[in-house]
Amino acid sequence: MFTHTPLRLTTLALLAAGSLSYAYIAGFFGLEILAEIAILAILVIALDLVAGFGGMVSLCHGALLGVGAYAFTVAATEAGLPALPAMLLSVALSSVLAFAIGAVCARSTGIYFIMATLAFGQMAYSFVFQSPLFGGDDGLSGAPRPDLTAIGIDFTDSRAFAVYTILLVALSYLIASATLRSGLGRSLVGIHHNEKRLRALGLTVWRAKATAFAISGALAGLAGCLAAQHTQYVSPGLLSWTVSGEALVVVILGGLGTLVGPLLGAILFVVLKHEISAITPYWHAIVGLILIAVVMSRAKGVFGFIEARWEARSPKPVVKEAKADA
Amino acid sequence: MTTDLGFWVLQTLNALQLSMLLFLLSVGLTVIFGLMHFVNLAHGSLYAFGAYVAATLAETLGYWGGFVLAPLAVAALGAVLYFTLIRSQRRAGPMAQVLVTFGLIFVAVDATRLIWGDLPIGIAVPALLDGQIALLGVEYPVYRLFIIALGLAVLAVLTLILTRTQIGAMIRAGVDNDQMAACLGINVERMFFLVFVVGCALAGLAGAVAAPVLSVTPDMGLQILIPTLIVIVIGGLGSLKGAVAGALIFGFVQTFGAVLLPTLSSVLIYALLAAVLVTRPEGLLPAKG
Repeated sequence: MFTHTPLRLTTLALLAAGSLSYAYIAGFFGLEILAEIAILAILVIALDLVAGFGGMVSLCHGALLGVGAYAFTVAATEAGLPALPAMLLSVALSSVLAFAIGAVCARSTGIYFIMATLAFGQMAYSFVFQSPLFGGDDGLSGAPRPDLTAIGIDFTDSRAFAVYTILLVALSYLIASATLRSGLGRSLVGIHHNEKRLRALGLTVWRAKATAFAISGALAGLAGCLAAQHTQYVSPGLLSWTVSGEALVVVILGGLGTLVGPLLGAILFVVLKHEISAITPYWHAIVGLILIAVVMSRAKGVFGFIEARWEARSPKPVVKEAKADA
Repeated sequence: MTTDLGFWVLQTLNALQLSMLLFLLSVGLTVIFGLMHFVNLAHGSLYAFGAYVAATLAETLGYWGGFVLAPLAVAALGAVLYFTLIRSQRRAGPMAQVLVTFGLIFVAVDATRLIWGDLPIGIAVPALLDGQIALLGVEYPVYRLFIIALGLAVLAVLTLILTRTQIGAMIRAGVDNDQMAACLGINVERMFFLVFVVGCALAGLAGAVAAPVLSVTPDMGLQILIPTLIVIVIGGLGSLKGAVAGALIFGFVQTFGAVLLPTLSSVLIYALLAAVLVTRPEGLLPAKG
């Protein structure tokens, strides 16, 4: 079950303080990277919710993100909706789609689940790629950022936009942790540990899985809206299965099933990507080698590693034993 | 157009050619999965490596030199991978395997870019198989017929080995129940290694055969990976029959979909995959009954 240990709370506080203060001192390039990290962070929170806690390793989260991004762009440009209703609409659409995928795939487990989600993701990808309505290979441009000039906030300024994305990361984190601590979250972890037992206890397993997937899909759709607003351009590449694969890589590097770790993973991944790609065009190979090393070391990512060290050093068990003796 | 017999013959041959290429790739992957329960996403990268080796050797040794040596080179690479990564990840569960081999794809794509550059490499069809031949009223490239024939030959050899020889019986026993097979005195570890290397060699062969038809690019392994996975998932992981059925279904749906329903063609195959997974999660012809 998901709990907020002191280490996790401290890390979250440090991350929040660090990212907000960086948002005030960073230049244009730093702010763009910050927004990129925030968007990836929302996507990996969504993925960790289902993969880390429910054991549902999904290769369609890139597609859910892409659906959100396209739905937002179409709603805001072609249909002419204001940005906020368009965001709500596209988040709802991603969520409904995720519920359907979750419901259909709920029966399969392990590699079959991965393949089934891959199939649905690729279906969305080829649909968008081929449909003339969505601009095909060229993509669509012109997604607007929310207009809050009425209350003196201008989102075309990258500083305001970066703060806005960070606040939405915080919101996503709160939604995910609230979900995990609710009855649904406990059922989800229970299903991951022993599906048959939960079924015997009378839980409608497919509905729990699909609902969790829908919440995760809503967050992925939100990340898609932000991605569309950030670059103000969407292309079918957003839906590609390699985006889902990379999100999975980030979750693993950060620490699967910790919810906090993937945030660290997102920072590490984006910073590494920019630092290494400045030195060599072959940054993917370096990321690949790091990934192989992390998986083979069997550590639960960066945060899992820190947590294990922390627990090993923590004096708590000794104190308990001493009390028991007394 | 659709009433013309030539059209159907031509498209059927195209579909068969695609199916046979996918069969060469998927048979190795599916038997590796069935026997070792190992998901190797880097299988497509082995195919790309085979194509590059064939293209490089074709410059000095001619096409046939590459055709023979590329599978051997890929098998050697497969052996190295087996001892460094695959063996230790065998019992680690599907997610660790997906991730390790996903990392391998990253490394492989950049390694090929580093060695061979970003530009596509083309190699010529061998003189022996150059030209076209008239068949049922259509002119068809001989080389593509050669791909079909090669696929059928590999299928025949593998069927014979799996059903008529002792090693085939041992492999089938291993797919069915590897612990029981080990109890009966079969060296399952050695058999895993053998199957893995042969699977890699077949991927290399597919690469060498595909090189003159498709251009050889760093992302060719990534492009072929999804079709290969679809083939083995539709067919049923671990079964030779499944790989054949899956490859034929994919080849025909893809080819005829593209000419008859061009707007729906690529969605069609994924919809089919989803339908198979929902109704028969183990695939159409799973290895275990």
